[in-house]
Amino acid sequence: MTKRIAIVEDEAAIRENYADVLRSQGYQVQTYASRETATQAFNLRLPNLVILDIGLNEEYDGGFVLCQQLRAKSASLPIIFLTARDNDFDTVSGLRIGADDYLTKDISLPHLTARISALFRRQEAFKQPVSDEHITQTGSLTVDSQRMTITWHNKPIDLTITEFWLVHALAKHPGHVKNRTQLMTDSKIYVDDSTITSHIKRIRKKFIKTDENFDCIETVYGMGYRWLSELENTSNNDQ
Amino acid sequence: MTSKKTFQLRFGLRAKLLLLSSFLFVIPWFGYQYVWEMEKYLRFGQEQTLVGTARALATALHEREKLFNNQASFLPSVEQGKDLYGYQLTEAIQLDGLHNDWPNFSQRAHFYDHQQQLFASKSLNLNLNFKASVGKYDKYLYLFFQVVDKQVTFRGNNSRSITNNDHLALSFSDQNNKLNRFIISNKQAGWISAFSITDNIEDIPKPATHIQGHWLLTPQGYNIELRVPLTTLGDKIAFAFYDVNQPGAKIDSAIGSAEPSKLVSLGTILVPSPEIERIVKGMRYTNSSIWVVDQHHRVLASAGSLKSASGVWHNKAKSPSEDEKNSFWYQFKQQVLLPLYYQILTKPPTDFIDKIYDAKHLNGEHIVSALMGKAKSQWRLTTDKQALVLSAAYPIFINNKVQGAVIVEETTNGIRTLRNRALEKLFTVILAIMVLGALTFIIFATRISSRIRHLSNQAEQAIDKQGRIIGKMSASTSHDEIGDLSRSFTTAVNRLSEYNHYLENMSARLSHELRTPIAVVKTSLENLALQEKKSLSTHENGEENAYIERAQTGINTLNLILTNMSEATRLEQMLATTEKIEFDLTTVISGCMAGYQQVYPDYTFNLSCERKKLPLNGSPEHIVQLLDKVINNAVEFSQDKIITVALTQHSEHAELRVTNNGILLPEQLSESLFDSMVSLRSANTTNTVNTANKSKKTPPHLGLGLYIARLICQFHHGEISADNHHSPEGVTIKITLPTKVW
Repeated sequence: MTKRIAIVEDEAAIRENYADVLRSQGYQVQTYASRETATQAFNLRLPNLVILDIGLNEEYDGGFVLCQQLRAKSASLPIIFLTARDNDFDTVSGLRIGADDYLTKDISLPHLTARISALFRRQEAFKQPVSDEHITQTGSLTVDSQRMTITWHNKPIDLTITEFWLVHALAKHPGHVKNRTQLMTDSKIYVDDSTITSHIKRIRKKFIKTDENFDCIETVYGMGYRWLSELENTSNNDQ
Repeated sequence: MTSKKTFQLRFGLRAKLLLLSSFLFVIPWFGYQYVWEMEKYLRFGQEQTLVGTARALATALHEREKLFNNQASFLPSVEQGKDLYGYQLTEAIQLDGLHNDWPNFSQRAHFYDHQQQLFASKSLNLNLNFKASVGKYDKYLYLFFQVVDKQVTFRGNNSRSITNNDHLALSFSDQNNKLNRFIISNKQAGWISAFSITDNIEDIPKPATHIQGHWLLTPQGYNIELRVPLTTLGDKIAFAFYDVNQPGAKIDSAIGSAEPSKLVSLGTILVPSPEIERIVKGMRYTNSSIWVVDQHHRVLASAGSLKSASGVWHNKAKSPSEDEKNSFWYQFKQQVLLPLYYQILTKPPTDFIDKIYDAKHLNGEHIVSALMGKAKSQWRLTTDKQALVLSAAYPIFINNKVQGAVIVEETTNGIRTLRNRALEKLFTVILAIMVLGALTFIIFATRISSRIRHLSNQAEQAIDKQGRIIGKMSASTSHDEIGDLSRSFTTAVNRLSEYNHYLENMSARLSHELRTPIAVVKTSLENLALQEKKSLSTHENGEENAYIERAQTGINTLNLILTNMSEATRLEQMLATTEKIEFDLTTVISGCMAGYQQVYPDYTFNLSCERKKLPLNGSPEHIVQLLDKVINNAVEFSQDKIITVALTQHSEHAELRVTNNGILLPEQLSESLFDSMVSLRSANTTNTVNTANKSKKTPPHLGLGLYIARLICQFHHGEISADNHHSPEGVTIKITLPTKVW
């Protein structure tokens, strides 16, 4: 069954470009230029994935409103924000109201399609039984690369695809410093340094939510970040 | 900056207002002038009054021939010594031969010597002279003679003759103009013996008891003091002394006022007329000093004293009651104000000396004029120049001929007292007005200038040296011009601030607006590339592919530029939500330096830290970002590839110096270096950097790096500044971060 992807975007050229790419990937794509038409269509039938722009025509926050409505209808529907707004505030707002990822429009199409397929894969993976071959264990951290889920002390941490890829990249080689460029490549985004900083901050916050003593992502000033295994961490504390 | 200004000599608003208010001093000057003018009019009035008084008195004396009849007023001329004047004596005379009860004897007495010689047997041997004074008291005419005679010869005890010794011949006419002749011839000192004689030598002299007196011997000669009842006295008189040097001998010489033996040769006697005096007395309540003179300037009558003659204006100032005297205002006025006023004003003197008039003889232009028949008034100073005297003279006519004059005199003390009182009041009022006015002016000026200064301080604080808006101004609510100024300042600053904000956000806005079209191009290119890839697998042709690749490179660069442009705005938003944590600055900086060494392997980084630990409250990620920007800047401008970083700790702040050697900053740019969109890079330096880094492409500089550094510094309440240093030439960027917890 081909996946159905809905694109809500007021700029026709971009909309069609995205649609063309996704169609060439074998997806079935529906495009909507305004919130109203999209809402009507979604009321009839939900797609398998939605790509939303935040500003829709005259509605400054149209995308957010739509996202909330969709999330109310389905908790598992993957929603991606694809927008020109690159500020921290909108990013946080978008993720908080339930988007699975927040991407800016300067993302390259391969990066976008990689994310979309990753999201679908994750969805598929949840339907299949957990297979050990995709699971790597680093201390208390468990990474399921197929389901793209992470548990800390056996408690699941809810991460976006980008965040998952960042943690995955760091935890793959504990103790090794990953600089920002490397992290960007691994997480298939291309942003500036401060965006990476805010991603790391958000990841830390999510971990701390489940474990107050979490301190495994270390900032190496001037270099980048590294994952500290708990053993090293405690031994560091002992020193 | 402001304190320096105040120390400079400034002609501020307050000084200007004070200067302007000094025109208020014109008001007291006008008041003063007005009072003076008043005084002038008052004086003029006084003059008129005085002339009126003189005229009134003269009117009473016009055509009253009788009053002047028995006087010598009709004589064409008077001769000193012969025509006598009887001074009005104020006290009774004791007939004792001593002149100490005669007032001003030495001045008033007339000296007779050989010039008044009547007869001499031995012309050269003259040793007789005398002084004579005449006075009137009550009903008697008093005469005093001080005779100098070497040889006093009394009448012999048994001598029948009364003339063969030193004797006094006294002759006067009676009321009926008949000659009465007397001889005073004593046998000894003591009471005088007066004899009445006739022209007939045969007649026996009869004692005249109504002439009383005293003969006193003195070392120089003798004194005779005698009195004659006025009832027997007409207006002609003569006296003569006959000197006999040997008892019983002939007369040696004679000196006298006139030849006493004949009526025609007698001199005149003038005594102040009691009739005129009575009339004059009626006028003395006019507060004037009044004189009546005959045509020979001789005083016929006088009344009043100049000292009490202060004019009709002189109404006595009512003396304050006890309550008033005890009042604070009265005390203040007496002790502070009045002494102050009388630095300027002069109190009319109550004690002055006027000697211009002899008691018997008045002189003056006005009297001369009056005796010519023309009334005249004149101002004169008293002889001690203490008081100003107004004097008016008015002629007395008898039979169309001027027979005398009335002279009325007053001092201007009354007017002066009045003027002084007016001026005192004026001064008090003016002083009060000026003190109040000056206070009001000062308060008003201070208020205005402080408001303006406040406004200017606010304006100065709202905009910093670089012209950035750093604060908001609070608009004044007052409805005057300064309030308007304040409001328009506030509006201007707010608008400028909005505009500045707009400018600072412009790059972000621009990048946001450009992002959508770029996304269109980018996605289109990528789609094209994907299609190309598919067709490439079928056809062996890669030429078109190169163009797509170039276009994609270009669009990526453009995208990067846009990301950089909005970096500052994103940073600001991020900083607003960033929480500060405690971290060690030394660790952060040394970590960073190690990182930079890897990124820029060609450069040498020298780091010197004073301390091992330097705790700071802030955001380490942003400090790193700040350092990134500054180091990046230093690397690009370094010529010898050595970057020196020094971290020092001071009492309340940490100081970080990043030094590179290279080209200097232009002076005019050093302040604005940390502003948005300001870049120093010329094409030349960019090229050197390019060759130095050997990188294929460097993103173009937007001048946002140091602006971001400033934003981060501001977030940490720190400061950043750039200075040139010399030998070797280069630039030091100094960052100070307060270590105090905010």
